[in-house]
Amino acid sequence: MAVRAVLERRAQPGRRRQPGRPARPKAREQAAGWAFVTPAVVLIMLFGVVPIVWSAVMSFQRNNLFSPNTPFVGLANYRQMLHDPVIAQAIGHTIVYTALFVPGTMLVGIFLAVAMNRKIRFISVYRTAAYATMAISTISEALVFIWLFDPSYGIVNYLFHLVGIPQQQFLSSTSEALYVIVIMTIWGWTGFAVVVYLAALQGIPQALTEAAAIDGAGRWATFRRITLPLLSPASLFLVVWLTINALQLFDEVYLSTQGGPLNSTTVLVYYLYQQAFGGANFNFGYASAIAYFLFVIIIVFTAIQFRVGRRLVHYRS
Amino acid sequence: MKGHWLSAVAASALLVCGLAACGTGTPNSTAGGLQIWEGYTGAEGKAFAHLLAEWNAKHPAEKVTSLYVDNDDSLPKLLTAVKGGSQPDIAYVYGSWAPNVAQIPEVVNLTKVVQRPGVDWSDFWVGERDVATVNGKVIGIPALVDNLAVVYNKTLFAAAGLQPPGPNWTWDQFIADAKVLTVPAKKQFGTAYVTPGSEDTVWHWEALLWEAGGEILNASNTKAAFDSPAGLQSLDTLRTMAVTDKSMYLDPTDSEYANLFNSGKIGMLVTGPWDLSGFPAVKYGVQIMPSYPGTNGGHQTISGPDNWVIFNNGSKRVAAAESFLLWLTATPQATYFSLHTGDLPIRQSVENSPGFEQKMDQALPGVDTFITNLGNVKQARPQLPTYPKVSTILGQMIVSVLLGKTQPQAALASAAQQVNQALASGSSS
Amino acid sequence: MAAPITAATTAAPVTPAALPGRHRVRLPFSPWHLVLVPATIVLIFPFFWLVITSIETPAEALRFPPILTPHHLDFSNYTQALQAAPFGRFFINSAVVAVTTVVANVVMCSLAGYAFARYRFLGRGLLFALMMTTLMVPFQVTMIPQYIITKWLGIYVVGEFGLNHIGALIVPNAATAFGVFFLRQFFRTLPIEYEEAARVDGANRLVVFWRIVLPLAGPALSTLAALTFLDSWNNFLWPLIAVNQTNQMTLPLGLATFQSAHSTEWTLLMAGNVMSLIPIMIVFFAAQRYFVRSAAATGLTGI
Repeated sequence: MAVRAVLERRAQPGRRRQPGRPARPKAREQAAGWAFVTPAVVLIMLFGVVPIVWSAVMSFQRNNLFSPNTPFVGLANYRQMLHDPVIAQAIGHTIVYTALFVPGTMLVGIFLAVAMNRKIRFISVYRTAAYATMAISTISEALVFIWLFDPSYGIVNYLFHLVGIPQQQFLSSTSEALYVIVIMTIWGWTGFAVVVYLAALQGIPQALTEAAAIDGAGRWATFRRITLPLLSPASLFLVVWLTINALQLFDEVYLSTQGGPLNSTTVLVYYLYQQAFGGANFNFGYASAIAYFLFVIIIVFTAIQFRVGRRLVHYRS
Repeated sequence: MKGHWLSAVAASALLVCGLAACGTGTPNSTAGGLQIWEGYTGAEGKAFAHLLAEWNAKHPAEKVTSLYVDNDDSLPKLLTAVKGGSQPDIAYVYGSWAPNVAQIPEVVNLTKVVQRPGVDWSDFWVGERDVATVNGKVIGIPALVDNLAVVYNKTLFAAAGLQPPGPNWTWDQFIADAKVLTVPAKKQFGTAYVTPGSEDTVWHWEALLWEAGGEILNASNTKAAFDSPAGLQSLDTLRTMAVTDKSMYLDPTDSEYANLFNSGKIGMLVTGPWDLSGFPAVKYGVQIMPSYPGTNGGHQTISGPDNWVIFNNGSKRVAAAESFLLWLTATPQATYFSLHTGDLPIRQSVENSPGFEQKMDQALPGVDTFITNLGNVKQARPQLPTYPKVSTILGQMIVSVLLGKTQPQAALASAAQQVNQALASGSSS
Repeated sequence: MAAPITAATTAAPVTPAALPGRHRVRLPFSPWHLVLVPATIVLIFPFFWLVITSIETPAEALRFPPILTPHHLDFSNYTQALQAAPFGRFFINSAVVAVTTVVANVVMCSLAGYAFARYRFLGRGLLFALMMTTLMVPFQVTMIPQYIITKWLGIYVVGEFGLNHIGALIVPNAATAFGVFFLRQFFRTLPIEYEEAARVDGANRLVVFWRIVLPLAGPALSTLAALTFLDSWNNFLWPLIAVNQTNQMTLPLGLATFQSAHSTEWTLLMAGNVMSLIPIMIVFFAAQRYFVRSAAATGLTGI
């Protein structure tokens, strides 16, 4: 729909302006725009952008945080990344993790949100349960999952045993540990996805879905043709925000596997933390360089998502 | 309005430069209450609070207030504070960070201070003094000392018909005992090992290396020395239990092993005195480390002392901090602290005071073995700023052997090569 | 809009005209319960474990695998935890910081989010992108500069915003790019007709925002409030490095006193965690009930 409107506008060369919509924003709108954004922008610039620029500067220094001697070394830190075998692994793990976590969380979230978008008994309890997963501290979450997936004593291996699947090593296995973390974090973020989708679903007028039902559309068709597109702004928001967070995964790795076994769960932010504070090297300059490299990756992903979003997302205006 | 955002960018650029300049901070020179950052909880917290109150009552002009900072988190907080010019007067610092902390210019050089009459520097254990000294400079006063020994489950030993370990036991006996104690049907393991690949993984193995008569690095700390017959023997011990006998529970979390032991699922643990209070449900015994017969390593063990470090916030505050620390670590206070916490005595004179060991053992059974084991601490880990890098390499080596991914010989060779590289390039970073 | 709907969706699901030859099993409750109950169990399980550990004795708590049916209950863990540190103070600090942060965020981010969504002004795109970038660099890297800036703020601008004051915990998080992004996305989903109609009627932009748009933003604002509250309440790393006096600590720092390097007092830690969860659950429970009310009040029909 949006695409068609744009095409129509382009097809009529004589009319470059739609009535009521000036081609250049008026001075009043400019002023209002700037006035409205200034409070938030000032704070975010001061506490967000300035530190980022500062960190960029640090990435060009040899800085070990202990000595005051921080000479400029140009691109040496970045060049070191090219020769670091662990970086390639960390990049791989980060991307695999993100590719599994983001769709996983969104699917679970939308399924539960649809299930909870109705007035049945106990619905407040179910909803609060979903939100509750966000409230739990990461350390409790990590402890529970470590136990659930323990190779000898955990419930998951016990259930596998009942069904005849051989015992797995999970967090002690270089091939499985990352997937356990995927499951752990999907669980932890489900609440967030449910909250976002529920808020969006609440904004969809029931009249629409009812009209579709009256027209004879089945529930699945209604969902696919009406609900999903109307949820697309929420989906875009989630995909962007979940990706940004997934690419910066740290806490769960720090609390459960500490990058192991044998670096199989080392992701980029964990690795840079190890470089900076984790006693690997106290090399803050290198850590900042890794952070910037990740920063570029995130910008690229986010830009792509917004681009694709512009074509697929349907705003109701 | 148009140039608005341009000027905003310019302003923030100026801001960054300005802030970078004042990032070094100014030491506050107001003499007032001293601040000490420590991570004491539970019994240690209470004992420390008592001592602090005692000092503050006697020295109202040099009052000390403490701030709790969990030791694991203290490094980012400390480094941030130093960069921002807001460091405390005294901080509790892990011994393994000592070589790096020594590079902070605000850290006070205590070499002359510990030689003052009445301090009796040599009364502190040799392991502690080694860790408090970096390149001949004393940068800290010992705050804690510990060591590794073997804690075993008496009930499980009796049930398996095994003799409890004696003080002359060997690693072959340990391996054999572990095998007997492993009962897959009951999900019971002979022993456990932590596998996150961190220094915790590494120092447990370093004890074995030393017992086999080996060394971590050569005398000048320029090359690896662990790829030796001793290294092979010690790594092989671990491999036998983890891979061949499967008598070793591998704990990637560094905390499960203790709860498992307390649940009666593990026969023997190589651990330190800090874990003893976590075993209320088990009848445990403590024995010193086994030895490798035919080597000169004996029943050596490894120790992980921590330090109090003083930061320079002005000469008055430094002087006050020094007198506080010297008082805190003097024999009477050290004795009080040990008796009320079960922590090992930081001074030999405390250990030697009559009735001390009995009292300690009454409060915390088994701790007397750890105390006498302090005499088995003969050396410390290399005091190098690059040791953390070495530790990471060693950690990966050990874990890959434990997981059965590599053979000890190959793992040692590869690790030695990486360590040599790290040591060579380390001097410039 | 709300009235006719509720009647239809309370008990049994609405079934399309019954097809002959198909048996419909009529459950006495909605079949969705069959999905939601297991899902809830999976989601709630860790809480269950947390609560159980918090009322166990250390002998039973220090077990692996954890004991879920303890023989001895010990409720004194809660009183012990409260006495171990000045938790009353920590609670008040956390509450003050969280509430102020939420209010500040809701106000500033809604203004900014709306402007980014509706107004066209020079530099809009660049500014929005710049703000998004603040979400893309991990805190571990930006915390040192942020610390120095906060210290500078306290010395040269307003004392209460600097280190060693509660302000240091509030101001850096008083507006986040997340809030702006979230609300901008939301405002873009609102149909623009109402705002345009109001403008045509002569209302100025602020009035349009205040009278027309904000009331429609109920679900989004309460979601943002709940999420911001949660984030602020559980924030650990920044308070850890910014707070230097015990009486300014927040709850997570207080809970950390149960976890030292070598020994964790699990029972007290879990008791503390449970107590810390209660305000969050209250906030969430309240917020989610507000969703339903305000969504029903939007009165949006058709596109």
